[in-house]
Amino acid sequence: MPAILVLDDSATMVMSLSRILKSAGYEVETASNGKEGMAKLAGGLKPSLILTDINMPQMDGIAFIKEARKAASTRFTPIIVLTTESGGQKRDEARAAGASSWLTKPTEPNELLTALKQLLPSK
Amino acid sequence: MQFDSEASENLVCAVLAAQVAELRGRIDTGATVELLWRTTDVLSQLSGLVVELARRCHESDQALSEQCSTAVEAEAEISRSLESLAFEQAQRNDFTCQAVDCVVTALERLAVTDGPVGARLSPNDLAALYVSEEQRQVHDAVTRQFVIAAGRSVAEIRSRKGPGG
Repeated sequence: MPAILVLDDSATMVMSLSRILKSAGYEVETASNGKEGMAKLAGGLKPSLILTDINMPQMDGIAFIKEARKAASTRFTPIIVLTTESGGQKRDEARAAGASSWLTKPTEPNELLTALKQLLPSK
Repeated sequence: MQFDSEASENLVCAVLAAQVAELRGRIDTGATVELLWRTTDVLSQLSGLVVELARRCHESDQALSEQCSTAVEAEAEISRSLESLAFEQAQRNDFTCQAVDCVVTALERLAVTDGPVGARLSPNDLAALYVSEEQRQVHDAVTRQFVIAAGRSVAEIRSRKGPGG
């Protein structure tokens, strides 16, 4: 069962995403910001895919992606950005940092799961 | 209590920041989202019972069995809609909270008492707080209106002074 690491500072969003992903058969780990996400990765978590928000306290999504790309265990892990940001500049920054895909809130559960499946072909 | 004009504006910004922060807590729809999930969970349980009922009465009451099947299909459709609605609510709530946080941060910076007026928060500082393209579009629209209004004011002053004034 593929494990997904979800990063979002909104508790309601984290719960919503966890519910959708668990219903679709994924294991879910969560973090409320990039710093917490990096701590989970440093603790040995090896997610099959990472789903991250951009605007978060302490360490935002773009800084997190940069750090995650430096770590050997997540250098090639697919990272989907799910954010309120639809701006081209932020999108370019995320892509330059190493994001694999981008979804703008609000999105549909099916759209999210389709994006996941595209990056996790074995699921 | 008397304040000079600068302290008075700082106080107004501080009060507005606190009031908007208070509103932020009230717009949190986390409880609504949780209720929608609980509703879909209960519907799912009831649907399971209806499936069992349909199985047991399949031979003894064909009409009831068919009604059960119809109810199960309707439940599946409603549950999908409720799940989508809950997810949409969570995302819209997240967006609203972030936009409100931006306003609170801006007002808090304007309420700071030290530093010269006008240097505490520039339009570019404000734009750096935005979390969505919608906010930037509003910013650009207001800036354009502001520039046009400022241009008119300058033109009026010049026309009052007359040629060479």
